Amino acid sequence: MNLTRRGLVAATAMLPAAAGAQDARARLNALKPAGFPREPIEMTVVYPAGGGMDITARVVQRFFEKATGERSLVNNRTGGAGLVGHTWLATQAPADGHAVGIVANLIFSDAVRSQGRWSWTDLDHIAHINAEPLNLVVNAEGPFRQGGLPAILEAARARPGTIRALNVPGGYYEYLIEQLEAAAGARFLRVPFQGGAPGITALLGNNIDLGFGFFAEVRGHLAANRLLPIAVTGRTRTVFLPDTPTVNNVTGRDDVNWGVSRWVAIPKAVPADRKAWLAAAFHAAINDPEAAAEFRNLGALPDPALNTPEALQADVVRMAQAERDFLIASGRAQR
Amino acid sequence: MDATLVALSGGFAAILTPGTLYYIFIGSLIGTLIGVLPGIGPLAALSLLLPATVALPPVAAIAMLSAIFYGSMYGGSITSILVNIPGEAASVVTCLDGHAMARQGRAGPALGMAALGSFIAGTLGIVVLTFFSPALSVFAIRLGPPEYCALMVLGLACTILMIEGSAFKGMIMIGLGAGFATQGMDVVSGEFRFTFNSIDLTAGIELIAVVIGLFGVSEILTNVEKSEGGIAVKTKLRNLWPSAKDWAASWAPILRGSGLGFAVGLVPGGGPVTASFLSYALERRVARDPSGFGQGRIEGVAGPEAANNAAVSSGMIPLLSLGIPGNAVTALLMGALIINGVQPGPMLIVENPQIFWGVVASLYVGNVFLLILNLPLVGLWVQLLRVPYSVLFPTIVLLAMVGTYSANRNIFDLWVMLGFGVLGWFLRKLDYELAPLVLAFVLAPLLEQSLRQSMVMSADGAWIFLARPVAATLLGLSAILLIFVALKGRSANNKGATP
Repeated sequence: MNLTRRGLVAATAMLPAAAGAQDARARLNALKPAGFPREPIEMTVVYPAGGGMDITARVVQRFFEKATGERSLVNNRTGGAGLVGHTWLATQAPADGHAVGIVANLIFSDAVRSQGRWSWTDLDHIAHINAEPLNLVVNAEGPFRQGGLPAILEAARARPGTIRALNVPGGYYEYLIEQLEAAAGARFLRVPFQGGAPGITALLGNNIDLGFGFFAEVRGHLAANRLLPIAVTGRTRTVFLPDTPTVNNVTGRDDVNWGVSRWVAIPKAVPADRKAWLAAAFHAAINDPEAAAEFRNLGALPDPALNTPEALQADVVRMAQAERDFLIASGRAQR
Repeated sequence: MDATLVALSGGFAAILTPGTLYYIFIGSLIGTLIGVLPGIGPLAALSLLLPATVALPPVAAIAMLSAIFYGSMYGGSITSILVNIPGEAASVVTCLDGHAMARQGRAGPALGMAALGSFIAGTLGIVVLTFFSPALSVFAIRLGPPEYCALMVLGLACTILMIEGSAFKGMIMIGLGAGFATQGMDVVSGEFRFTFNSIDLTAGIELIAVVIGLFGVSEILTNVEKSEGGIAVKTKLRNLWPSAKDWAASWAPILRGSGLGFAVGLVPGGGPVTASFLSYALERRVARDPSGFGQGRIEGVAGPEAANNAAVSSGMIPLLSLGIPGNAVTALLMGALIINGVQPGPMLIVENPQIFWGVVASLYVGNVFLLILNLPLVGLWVQLLRVPYSVLFPTIVLLAMVGTYSANRNIFDLWVMLGFGVLGWFLRKLDYELAPLVLAFVLAPLLEQSLRQSMVMSADGAWIFLARPVAATLLGLSAILLIFVALKGRSANNKGATP
C-alpha cells in the first residue's frame, strides 16, 4: 500500500501541475509528529447522517484523506439537537488528536444550554471550512409572491400575529424572526418545527407563509418555481442569489446577520505538535480546488479571510460575543 | 401512460447492467441481514455504508441503499416469527401471530407468507409510484400539521382496538408509551423535559433500545426463567410452504395491507411502523371471526408485513418527486443523492430522468431479488429453531447490544435497553400487552408536535381540525372506531354479568 502510494507520488511528481501538490504533501509530512496518527482520525458530526453538516463533513473527510494519505471516518453522535455530541466533544473526546469535531456556530447556544458543564472555549478551533447565509423564502403561489419583504412587513403590521412564520425554537431561526418582528414593529405567528427541513415542506404545502432555509434545502424548489427568494441574511448579497437583497438592505438595519459558519475543532488538551499537523492537514484538504467546488455545489463558500487558525479563533470569539450580546439584548441572558 | 412506460423502460435499460444489478443484489442481501439482526436497523446500516457509495454511479448508489431499506422489511419478520423478537420496529406486530404460528409448528408458512406478502405489497406500491407519483406528491404536500395530528389520533384509536385482553390494562400501556416519549426536548419551547439534569436524557429515549429491551431482552428473561436449556420451539418442521387454505385466508389481508400501508407511507412521519400496527388492527376488525388473533392467525402476519413494505414504496414518492424526505431513512437517502452530486427536488425527474427512472426500475428488480433470496431461505431459517437456547440467547443478546449501541454510539442506550427488558419481563408476568406501549411511544411525539403546531396555526382553536376535510375525515373514522370499542366493551360486560 505504502509502496504503491510512494510510487504513484513519484510518478506524478514529474508533471509540473502536480508539483504544487507534491510540495504541499512534503510540507505536511515535515510537520507530522512521530507515531501519529496511529488509527483513523474520527470526525464527529453532532447532527444526523444525510443532513447539511454531515454532507459537509463527508466532503472534508474525503479531501483530508486525499491531502494526507491517512485514513479517517465520519461519526454521527446525535441527540438533544446537538447537545449530546457537543458535550461529548468538549468533555469526553480523547485528547490524543484522533478525535476531531466538524462543528458550526450553533455550538454557542448548546454551550449555554449545557448549563456550565462546558464552554466553546474548551475546544481549539483549528480550520475554517465554509460559511453561508440563510435565505428567506415564500411559496411561489402563496399570498406573498409579490411585493417582497416590504409587503410581508406591511402585512404583519396590518394583521399582527397572523402571518405564519417557520420557527425552530431556541436558535437562529428564532432570532431572525424576532429581528423581522422588530423591523416590522409587529409580531408574526411563529409555527414551531423540529428543524428547518420539515418547515420548508410545510411552506411548500402553503401551511405556513414564510421561512428561512439553507440554499441546499431550497435550491431545488427555487429552480422548479415552487418557492421564491425574498431576502438573505448577512451584510452582503450571496453569489447564489445575486438578484435577492439582504434583509439589512430592506430594513435599513445592520443586525440581521445570522448565518452558518462551519469549522474544525479539537479538544484543547491535544499536544501542540499534533494540533499543528491537524491544522495544516485540514487547511490543505479544505483548500483543495475540488473541495471548494463541492462546497459551492452545496451552497456554501470558504472564507479566505479566515485562512489561518488565528484568524478563525478571532472570528469564533467575535461570533460568540455577537450571540451573547443578542441573548442579553433580547432578555434571554443576564450580563 | 405510454410515455411513463417508455421512461420506465429507459430506467430498466440504465440498471440492467451487471454492475448495477450486483449492487442491488448486495443491498437486498445486506437489508435482509440487518432485518434479521435485532437492533441493527436500516438507519445505522445506511449511515455506515454512505461513504462507500461516493465511488459508485448515483443510480447504483441509491438503488443499493434503498434495497437495504426495503430488504430490512423482509428480514425483520424472520426473528419475530422464530423467536418472538422483532428484527425491526416495523415487525413488532408480526410477533403476535407469527410466533404463535411457529409454536404450532407452522413457522414455514408464516415466513413464506411474510415474504410473499412483502413482495406483493412492495411491487403493487411501486406500480402505483410509477404511474401516479406526480399526482400523489401534490396531494401529500398539501397535508399539514392538522392532518398529521388526525392520522396519529387514528393510529392510537386503532391501538385501542387492537388490545386483546383488558382494555384498561391496554390504556395504561398506551399512557406509559406516550409518557416515555415526552422525555427530551419540548417541540414548541425547545426546553428540556424530564431530563433530570442528564445530558444523555436530552436526546430522549431511543426507539431501538425500547423495542429491543421490551421484546428481545424480556423474551429472553421470560424463557430463561421457565426452561432449562431446551430448544426454542419443539415441533416437527413439516409443511414449509403456505397451503391453499393459508392463501385463501391471506390474499385479502395482503391487498388491504398494501393499500393501507401505501396511504400511511405517503404522509411524512407515517412510515412502516405505524402502517404495520394499523394493518393488524384493521384485520382484527374486518375478520368475520375475530377470535384466535394472537394465537396464530396467518392474517396477522400477511397484513402487517404487506403494509410495512407498501409504506416503504410510497415513502419514496415524496423523496423522488419533490425532494422531501418523510422519515429518517429517506432523509439519509436524500443525503446520499446530494453527496453523489444529484440535487433532489421537483426537477429531478426533468433534469435527471435516468436517475429517477433508474431508481424506480431498481425497486422492481430489488423486490424480485428479495423474494428469490427469502423463499429458499425459509427452510434454513426454520432450522434455527433447532439451535438450543444456551447458544441462541447469548448470541441474540450480543447482537442486540451491538445493534442498540450502533444507533447513537452511546453506552447509555444499553442501560435503557436493559431497563426496558426488565420492565417488559415484569409487565408480561402481570399480563400487560407490550405492543400498544411501542406504538404509543412512536405516535405520541408526532401527535404532540402536530397538535401543538395546529393549535398555534389555527385562528379559532380546535376548529381547524374540522375545517380541513382530510383531517375531519380521519378524526371521524377514529370516533367511529372508539364508539365501536365502547359498544363491544359494554356487550362483553353484559355477557360477563349474565351467567
